[in-house]
Amino acid sequence: MKWFNTLVARIRALLGRDVVLQDIDEELRTHIEMEAEANRELGMTPEEARLSAARSFGNVGSIRDLAYEVRGGGLMETLWQDLRYSGRMLLKHPGFTLIAVLTLTLGIGANTAIFSIVNAVLLRPFPYQAPEQLVMLAESVSGQRNGSVSYPNFVDWRAQNNVFESVSAVRWNESYNFTGVDEPERLQGRLVSAGFFSLLGVKPLLGRDFVAEEDRPGATPAVIISHGFWTRRFGNDQSVVGKQITLNNQGYTVVGVTPPGFQFGLDADVTMPIGLSAERFKARGADPGIAVVGRLKPNVSQQQAETETNVIYSRLEQQYPESNTARRAYLTSLHENFVGDVRQPLLILLGSVGLVLLIACANVANLLLVRASTRRREMSVRVALGANRWRIIRQLLTESLMLAVIGAVLGILLAHWGTSFIASQLPAGIPRLNEASVDVSVLVFTLGVSVVTGLLFGLAPALQASRLNLTEALKEGDRGSSGGRQPLRSLLVIGEVALTLTLLVGAGLLIQSFRRVLQVDPGFDPQNLLTMQVSVNNTDGHQVAAFFDQWQERVRRLPGVKATAVSNGLPLGVVNHPVFFIEGRPRPENGKELSGIRYTVSPGYFDTMGIALIRGRVFTAQDTRDTPLVAIIDEALAQQHFQSEDPIGKRITQSSSGSPSYEIVGVVRHVEQDNLEGQSERPSQFYLNFNQIPINRLPTQVRRINLLTRTGVEPSSLVPALREQIAGLNKDQAVFNVRTMEDIVAQSIAPRRFSMMLLGIFAIVALALASIGIYGMMSYAVAQRTREIGLRMTLGAQSGNVLRLVIGHGMKLALVGVALGLVASLALTRTMKTLLFGVSATDPLTFISIALLLAVVALLACWVPARRAAKVDPIVALRYE
Amino acid sequence: MANPNPKADLLQGTLDMLILKALSLGPLHGYGVIQRIRRMSDEMLTVEQGALYPALYRIELKGWVSAKWGENETGRRAKFYKLTRAGQKQLRVEEESWDRLALVVAKMREAT
Repeated sequence: MKWFNTLVARIRALLGRDVVLQDIDEELRTHIEMEAEANRELGMTPEEARLSAARSFGNVGSIRDLAYEVRGGGLMETLWQDLRYSGRMLLKHPGFTLIAVLTLTLGIGANTAIFSIVNAVLLRPFPYQAPEQLVMLAESVSGQRNGSVSYPNFVDWRAQNNVFESVSAVRWNESYNFTGVDEPERLQGRLVSAGFFSLLGVKPLLGRDFVAEEDRPGATPAVIISHGFWTRRFGNDQSVVGKQITLNNQGYTVVGVTPPGFQFGLDADVTMPIGLSAERFKARGADPGIAVVGRLKPNVSQQQAETETNVIYSRLEQQYPESNTARRAYLTSLHENFVGDVRQPLLILLGSVGLVLLIACANVANLLLVRASTRRREMSVRVALGANRWRIIRQLLTESLMLAVIGAVLGILLAHWGTSFIASQLPAGIPRLNEASVDVSVLVFTLGVSVVTGLLFGLAPALQASRLNLTEALKEGDRGSSGGRQPLRSLLVIGEVALTLTLLVGAGLLIQSFRRVLQVDPGFDPQNLLTMQVSVNNTDGHQVAAFFDQWQERVRRLPGVKATAVSNGLPLGVVNHPVFFIEGRPRPENGKELSGIRYTVSPGYFDTMGIALIRGRVFTAQDTRDTPLVAIIDEALAQQHFQSEDPIGKRITQSSSGSPSYEIVGVVRHVEQDNLEGQSERPSQFYLNFNQIPINRLPTQVRRINLLTRTGVEPSSLVPALREQIAGLNKDQAVFNVRTMEDIVAQSIAPRRFSMMLLGIFAIVALALASIGIYGMMSYAVAQRTREIGLRMTLGAQSGNVLRLVIGHGMKLALVGVALGLVASLALTRTMKTLLFGVSATDPLTFISIALLLAVVALLACWVPARRAAKVDPIVALRYE
Repeated sequence: MANPNPKADLLQGTLDMLILKALSLGPLHGYGVIQRIRRMSDEMLTVEQGALYPALYRIELKGWVSAKWGENETGRRAKFYKLTRAGQKQLRVEEESWDRLALVVAKMREAT
């Protein structure tokens, strides 16, 4: 309570100086009057009594001031003085102030921003009930994980297992055309099992979760809509539950609305029961992109659950050897499943930003130390004029604190701006990023670190300065110790250089990787290529075929269009990955079938994409439904499966017996499918002719068709014309994902660009901070040694010697830092191996060039003060105090 | 707040104790505190007004005494100081340490 009383008294004193003074005056007056009264009782006249009392009391004014200071006014007033003085000092040295504030701003801002992101994505628990019990389950075949579960298997073990409280299948990436409204829209959909929301412990905002009756074939179609979709299209209409909406020409009854901010994997506007489309997923051997989320029963470990589920899987294997041979289940925690991919880049960023904070603190410390020593004389003068030690310490602390506060305010602004900037730069689809905002606890932490650094290093010199021996300091002037006798400062410089080198090496490796990725030849030409997608809902195959034929024909006539094509499957996009067989070869064992990426494309595809033909021919207009079926394979398939044989004329089929076989008529270049970063083993690719899809099967094959246009002009300028052509053919046809191929390529390397950019920024900031540190240190050392240098020159040293002397001292520190940094980098870059592409974690070129870069920067930072030293006029220097 | 002068600390502590002791006999105004200390010390100690009031304010901030404007027996308005519970405790602490000091000094003197 003592501090509280004091605080109240001080605030009262500050706010109501007059009130306090009046109170004191009155009390003192009472005192004098009482004494006068006593004097009168002793027999003095009233006048005598009053005078005597006043005399014996002494100087009322000074007593009053003394009392006032105790009551708090004194401290507040000197604080105000300190603040004004500090402000003047900071303004008088704008360079120092600017650097210190900038350093603090960067340290606080960058750290808070990055950590806020990391916290939102990696550390904060998922917003579901007891998220630690949630697991994701997927199947592997012969140990190869395929990240998906076959639906019939799921249904079987859902019924048989004893380890899960409940499970739900989830399939993302469903798309629906929302029609029957003024403005048709393409919606993202998600299929789930009944009880999905209850499993997560999420209560719908309106309505209810799906029930079992809705989760089977032939049930009344039901849909739960997202909060965003509800707001956007229904204006938050409370009565939406029970309404009908049309999706893919089918009526669905809205049974619920998700709570705001609900997210589970990819975004979805609409969620439907998966059982409704169970027919689509009935193939047991298929790999239909279904994930399973489950809640473990209490006291069941993930390991137990996996073992138990696999007991069921071995039963299924015996029951369905055709499809389930070597098929097993594996479990991952929900957390690992969702954030596994971004964990490492974010942790590396976190580590680097921590290094920047360290460097920033070292720099602030260094700056304050340098400043304090140059102010020794100012301090001694103040002490000589009667300032007491506490007052000087307080003065210096006020200055440090003022710097810290300015840096903190700017840092908070930077953190706020930086968090949204980084969030906007992160690759799409990172879970929970929308929850990222400046994290208050993080902000408090970084603020604390920076402010404490400032205070600590402001205090050390303050104590030193205030304890200094007055006469000696005044006599000595500024000729203090030389830089070599400042172990703390030297250590700070060495540390800064080492940390900076580590950051630069990390950034350098990422930049190298990025360059390598850019140099990868994707196998097609992404320039001047526009892609868009349609999903056709029409059960008449002839009409569907006509739609695509007419569209291509019309587009080809547009000015600026060079070629156009239709495809199912696109590089860097969604593709099918079926098994295939080469005719005339022994049938491989189960699970050892060949598989490849299948593209179904119209004849103009190779021309439009710029995929080079190596042998044979590409599809032509002469290949139709009435002519023999043809296929084209890529060079990887040719090399892997035909080696020395000529593949042209050989035949492939897609399933074992009785299905059509395709004659291979051409071999084309391999294209990079998943990303530009290649794989050690290139997957086989083969192409079928879109125009040869049997007319009765065509309507089921056109759910996600790419329309490609190669242009001679800027591709996006043709978008309105292309849309117009589609609307001309079918005004209800929704078009989506309109993007240039260059955008798609850019997006595929966005995560890499992102980590590279951020680490690069940190490295540059660190480099700037380190050079400031070295420069400050050397300038200080030169100023300290001016007299010594003057003496040396008087004794015959040339300016070259002086230059060497100063630079030698600075470079010695810098090189020790570089050496330490190289060792640290060797240890640290290992952790980023998986982020690298085409460059080793110990790439000597990067290491050497970064070390040289840093050495040159250090040299420059020493050079400027060294030049100043070399130009010293010996006479002036000797007189210099 | 470090005080550069340990001697002043000692004196201050002594004055605080004297004031607390005076107030332990009942609430008093500043003038009365001086009178009471003089009487209690058989006229041997006179506290200067210049020292009294800063000391009173200081120990008020420490929470050892509370102050309130009131009237004395003759109806004069004055500010009265009253020992708080914390003040009583502080007084005991200081008295004990004084006793200890006295004991030590006595023992030292006997030893010579």
